Amino acid sequence: MIRPRPVTARRYVAALGGWLVAWVLVAAAAVLLGTENIWAWESWESVRTVLGIRLYLVLTASIVGASLALAGLAFQALLRNPLADPYILGVSGGASLGVILSSLCFSILLAPLFGFVGALATVAVVYAVAQRRGRLEPYTLLLSGVIINAFYGAAIMLVVALASPMERGSIAYWMMGSIGTFDPRGTPVVAVVGGLAVAVAVVFAFLAKGFNLVVVGEDTAGALGVRVERLRLVAFVAASLVTGASVALVGPIGFVGLICPHLLRLALGPDHRRLVPASFFFGAIFLVLADLATRLLASVGDQAPPVGVLTAMCGGPFFIYLLRTRWRRAAEVR
Amino acid sequence: MRFGAMAAAVVCALAALAAGGCQKEAPAPAPPPASGAAAPLRILSLAPNLTEILFAMGLGDRVVGRSTYCAYPPEAAALPAVGDTLQLNLERVVALKPTVAFLITRRDDVPRRLEAVGVRAVALRSDHMSEMLQSVATIGRETGHEADAQMLLDHIQVGLMRVRARVKGLPRPKVLFAFPMTIGSPQMMVAGRGTFVDELLDVAGAANAYPKTADWPTLSPQAVIGLGPEVVIVNATAEDAAPDRLEAVRRAWANWTSVPAVKAGRVHVLTETFLTIPGPRVVQAAAVLAEAIHPELRGATPEGARP
Repeated sequence: MIRPRPVTARRYVAALGGWLVAWVLVAAAAVLLGTENIWAWESWESVRTVLGIRLYLVLTASIVGASLALAGLAFQALLRNPLADPYILGVSGGASLGVILSSLCFSILLAPLFGFVGALATVAVVYAVAQRRGRLEPYTLLLSGVIINAFYGAAIMLVVALASPMERGSIAYWMMGSIGTFDPRGTPVVAVVGGLAVAVAVVFAFLAKGFNLVVVGEDTAGALGVRVERLRLVAFVAASLVTGASVALVGPIGFVGLICPHLLRLALGPDHRRLVPASFFFGAIFLVLADLATRLLASVGDQAPPVGVLTAMCGGPFFIYLLRTRWRRAAEVR
Repeated sequence: MRFGAMAAAVVCALAALAAGGCQKEAPAPAPPPASGAAAPLRILSLAPNLTEILFAMGLGDRVVGRSTYCAYPPEAAALPAVGDTLQLNLERVVALKPTVAFLITRRDDVPRRLEAVGVRAVALRSDHMSEMLQSVATIGRETGHEADAQMLLDHIQVGLMRVRARVKGLPRPKVLFAFPMTIGSPQMMVAGRGTFVDELLDVAGAANAYPKTADWPTLSPQAVIGLGPEVVIVNATAEDAAPDRLEAVRRAWANWTSVPAVKAGRVHVLTETFLTIPGPRVVQAAAVLAEAIHPELRGATPEGARP
C-alpha cells in the first residue's frame, strides 16, 4: 500500500480544488443530461426551463449526498464502527417520523426542525442502549439500530394506517426517498440546508484531528489532550442536524453515508483530514450520479425510480461485503 | 488537451448556472386565459376523469399529454404520459409545451411547480357529483369551449335524471359497494357515505348500507355481516378481473350466508372499470348499478332509448 504523504496546507488546498473541479464536471454532466434530449429542441425558452429544473435537482442531490456522507463519516469515527450509517442506526428513521408528524400535524416548514429532533433523539437512544460499562459494543450498537429502525417502521406504519388514502400515497412515495421534485418554493429550504451542510463540513474539518485520535481509542485521545466528550457532543449534534435536514428535504436515502466514506478510506487511507473534504464532495458526486441514473432510466420507462431505492440496492450488498471482510479483519486486530 | 477539456466543462457549467439563475429570477409569464384565438390550445390532463371529460367535450385533439392512469378513451392511451401528481416528470411536461394543465389535487405544490415551468395549472376537484359537474364548467370556461361543456353537462344531467326516473317507485334496498378483498386478507374497502359512489347508489335507487360518512373505509368480514346489506356490488377491475380472482371473490362471499344479499343471491361482481370514475360515463355507471340492484329493470328498454 502506498504510504500517504503528509497533509500540508498547500496539498489541502490542492485537494479541495481537485474535488471542486470533479464535482463541477459531474454536476455539469447531470445538468446537461436527463430524461428529455433537450439538444434537439428549437425553443431556447424550453431548454432554459429544463436546465433550471435540472440545476435545482443537482444542487439538492449534492447537498443531501454531502450531508449524508459527512454524517456517516462522523458516526463511523465516533462509534468506532465501520458499519455505522445514519440509515442503519435508525437516525434517518427518527428524522422521517419527525418529518411525517410535522407535515401531518403542523406546517411543512417545521419539517427540518422535527427531522433534527427525531435524528438527535435517536442518536441519544442508540448511544445509551449500546453503551455498556463505558464502552460501545459494535454488535449491540448495530442491533440497537436494527431495533430502533423496526420501532420507527411500526410507528410510521401506524401513522400511515390512520392517515387518509391521499396522504397514505404521498407518505409511501416520500419514504422511498426521491430527489425528483422541483419546487420553486423549496429554493430557500435548499439554500438553508446547503448552508448547513457547508457549515458542518467546516466544523468537521477542524475536528478531523480529534476524529483520528478517537478512532484509535478514546482513552488515548483523552490522554493526548482531545476533549472527547465535547468532540462527541458537537459531532453527534452536527451529524444529526444534517441528517434531519436532508431527510426533511428529500426523504430517507440510505447507505450513502456507508458507501462513500468506505470507498474513500480504501482510496485515501484513514486520515480524517483528507476524509472530511473528500466525503463532502464525493457524497455530493455519488448522489448526483445516482439521481442522474434514475432520470436516465425514466427516459426508458415513463417514471423515474426513486433514488433511495437505487442507493439501497447498491448499499445492501456493500454492507454485507464490509461485514464479511473488513469488519472481521478489524475485530481480529483488536 | 486536459486543460482544454476542463475549460470547456467549466464554461458549460457556468452557462448552466447562468441559465438556472435567469430561470429563477424571471419565471416564464403565464399565458393569459385562452380566448380561443391567441395561442393554439395545448392541454395536459393529469387525471383519468379529466381526460374523459376533455375527449367527451370534443377537445381530444387538443390534449398533448396525460397522466400514467389515463387509459380511456383508447386514443388518450396513445398520448405521452408524464407521471402523476405525486411524481411528475417536469422535463417531459416542458417537452410537450402545454398551454394549460388540468389536474385533480388538494395540494398546492403541484400547481405551483407547473406554473414555475410556464404552464397555467387549473386545479379541480371531483370528490362529489357537484364538484365533477363544476369541473366540466370550469374546463369549458378555461378552454373557451363553454358551449361544448354545457352540452356535456346537459348530457350527464339528463342521463342521470333518466336513471332516476327508471328506479322511481321501486324499493330502495340497502346496498354495499365494495372492492374485492386483497389477496391474503379478508378485509375490503367499501364506499362510505358522502363519496361519489354513494351519490351514484342514490341515483340508481339504493341506500348505502354503510351508515357513516367516510372516505372508503376498510371493513372486516364481521363488520360487513353486521351491516346486513340486501345487495352487494363488488367492483373487480384490473388484475382483480382475472377469471380465477373473480371465482375466488364469489366463493369468499358465498361463505357468508348470514348476509341477506348472499342468501338472496344478490351479490353482483361487476368488472366495469368506470363505476368509480367521476367522469362523463357516470350515466352508464348509474344505469349499470341500477340494473344490478333492480333485477326488474334488466332487459326492459330504457325510456330514453326509445326513438
